[in-house]
Amino acid sequence: MPSFFDSWLPFLYLYGVGGIFFLVGMLIIRKSGAINLKSKRHKYWYKVLILGFFYFVAIHAFFIILALYW
Amino acid sequence: MEHSSQNLHQTFHSIGSSTDWIVMVVYFLVIMLFGSYFGRYNRSTKDFFFGGRRFAWWLIAFSIVATGVGSHSFVKYSAKGFEHGFSSTMTYINDWFFLPLFLFGWLPIIVYTKIRSIPEYFEKRFSPSARFLATILLLLYMIGYIGIGFLTLGKAVLPLLPESFSLFGSEFQITLMGAVIVIAIITGIYITFGGQTAVIFTDLLQGFILLFAGFFLFFLGISYLGGFDVFWNLLPTEWKMPLAKFNEPSSFNFVGIFWQDGVAGSIGFLFMNMGLIMRFMATKSVDEGRKAATFNILFMLPLSAIVVGNAGWIGKAISVTNPEIVPPNTSPDQIFVVVANIVAIPGVFGFIMAALTAALMSTVDTLINATAAIYINDVYRPTKKYLQAKIVTKKITDKKELAAARYSSIAITALGVLSVLAFKNFPTVYEAHGYFHSTLTPPLVVAIFLGLFWRRFTPAAVITTFVSGVALMILGLHDPNVITPFNHGIEMDPDHPYSYIRALYNMVVCIIPAVVVTLTTAKQEQISDALKSNANGKVTVYTLVAVSILIFVIVLFDLTPLSLQLFGIVILMFTTAIVSTYLIDYDQQLNTEGLTVWTVAKAKEFFKGSKVNDEEGLKVKVDFKVKEGEEETVNFSKQDMETMKANVGDLVYLCDARKYLGGLKSVHSVLGEPHDEPGLVYISNEDLLNGVFEEGRKLIGEKEM
Repeated sequence: MPSFFDSWLPFLYLYGVGGIFFLVGMLIIRKSGAINLKSKRHKYWYKVLILGFFYFVAIHAFFIILALYW
Repeated sequence: MEHSSQNLHQTFHSIGSSTDWIVMVVYFLVIMLFGSYFGRYNRSTKDFFFGGRRFAWWLIAFSIVATGVGSHSFVKYSAKGFEHGFSSTMTYINDWFFLPLFLFGWLPIIVYTKIRSIPEYFEKRFSPSARFLATILLLLYMIGYIGIGFLTLGKAVLPLLPESFSLFGSEFQITLMGAVIVIAIITGIYITFGGQTAVIFTDLLQGFILLFAGFFLFFLGISYLGGFDVFWNLLPTEWKMPLAKFNEPSSFNFVGIFWQDGVAGSIGFLFMNMGLIMRFMATKSVDEGRKAATFNILFMLPLSAIVVGNAGWIGKAISVTNPEIVPPNTSPDQIFVVVANIVAIPGVFGFIMAALTAALMSTVDTLINATAAIYINDVYRPTKKYLQAKIVTKKITDKKELAAARYSSIAITALGVLSVLAFKNFPTVYEAHGYFHSTLTPPLVVAIFLGLFWRRFTPAAVITTFVSGVALMILGLHDPNVITPFNHGIEMDPDHPYSYIRALYNMVVCIIPAVVVTLTTAKQEQISDALKSNANGKVTVYTLVAVSILIFVIVLFDLTPLSLQLFGIVILMFTTAIVSTYLIDYDQQLNTEGLTVWTVAKAKEFFKGSKVNDEEGLKVKVDFKVKEGEEETVNFSKQDMETMKANVGDLVYLCDARKYLGGLKSVHSVLGEPHDEPGLVYISNEDLLNGVFEEGRKLIGEKEM
């Protein structure tokens, strides 16, 4: 069985450091007004962006669990 | 099948039968004919490069598959899959982090500012000198990328060929470079005569075929092994992990590849890859571009991960059960071909190989097309302007540019072939690509990012990034020990030091001058003003330029000890910043309007030329008639204008009502004065020709803004 260093650490690093980039991106587009949450269409895109992030978190977590325990 | 052992790896030759070759030739002919057919939709360089900004999101999303899969190639991911398992394709699932900034920053800006290439953005946002440096860096990046594509193609085809052949009694060895040259000639044909529309449609077809071929190969492989359970249980646990080991081995580790691909690569792919950007620019609107990009990353890339890597996984499983069929020391870059040949019958193998090579060709074609666009826009046109060529009509200029675009495609193909020499000695294509990305993307990535999101970022800062950032990167090439503080515990391979984590070092050393110079702008302006008011100011500036060049040459050729070079680069940072501030006229307000994420709304206004009408309306289905006269507007009825919530002067998109055409027959225009005939639109003859509309067919009208 791979150690924590080779199983969950890459996952935490990916979504920790990658998550910071993502969060900064979301903050910039909100603060700059590039995404206008009053617009229906932009609100939709905002949700897609957040859900997309967790979609990839779920995919990776699922496959790590599958590899370790199935 | 012949095989021979070279070094530690076993290589194969003459794989496949004559049936496979027939299938491959037929496949290529069909694809080339298909591409040439769409060449007739090119009426200008705008069409040749951008496909006329007309397509639906789904068409672009699927056409990107062939480009993405091709560039991230079956060969290199199968190789790493064979060596390390499922984690080989982890780079397919790490592109989401920068999507917010792409969808709502970069994409609307490049569309609305109507830039035709990334260097053009640098001129608008900074200065012509920034554009010049960006053009050099971008051309190096694109040509290197084409070289990687050719190298992969060569490696894919080589196992199918014999080691040598006889001609007129003489024996000729078939070499990697020989194969690459022949492939380059074939590749150049339809791009030269087709253009972007041809590439989009051949890629669309190939996107479907690739997905099918990849999954079909996976299915055949699983069947060959005796079912999914057998396959799953044959692989050790660490081979099933979706992410690689944190920091070992040096040839494939998570943290290095995260910075090389997840950060530098993702930004490079979304923000710098002109081939991909042009594809998004070919969508009919920014929103359609967003849909295409999102769909591609959410669904197509994870599917592609299975498509490109599975041959390596299957190869590993076969090597566990039958090492005499797939020896564990098989050359990793040949594993895709070897496995496909084992699990597929003759003919099917030919089809899979044709799909693979054709996809790779798509990638290379897209890149050649994009590089030609950069050449025309950032070298040809500025040179013509500089030489003050005689004024000719727009039509003649366009015809000449179209010809220049075609010739430049041929020259770029040749340069791409030459660049293969720089990469062919890496153990695998994967490492060559990683090293290439780590080295060439950081300066442009940092410059684009800061330019786009930091209004205070100045021309002096961007030029210093390009000059002293690159000098610090060269320092890392000469002495990899300077990268050690960033290595996250990765061991240094003396033959290919820090292939991946080098990206982190390179980005940091590009960010440092960018930030330092931006934050000290006031000081530079003071010094620049003092120089301007001094009688010897000009002489001082030219001296500083000479000092800068001298320092750069010293670093480039590694002429002094490291500490002296480091000191020299600090001086270089200072001199570059002062000289740039002195020579460049820059107005922050003017140069950032519509060109940063903070001013996207302005960009939309510039695009339209008047106040934007954001009121949401409906689409209308109408018949069309061609109107007399030169006026290039379209005229809807008052009732249809009301349905679309449109006003005179608004931008409108008209397309053939048949949805499956994906916008192939469509045009953008401006709304003219309305009439009183509901269900009818009057269009100009030019719009009829550009839209390639057919008599008697219904059109859909949609207000754009």
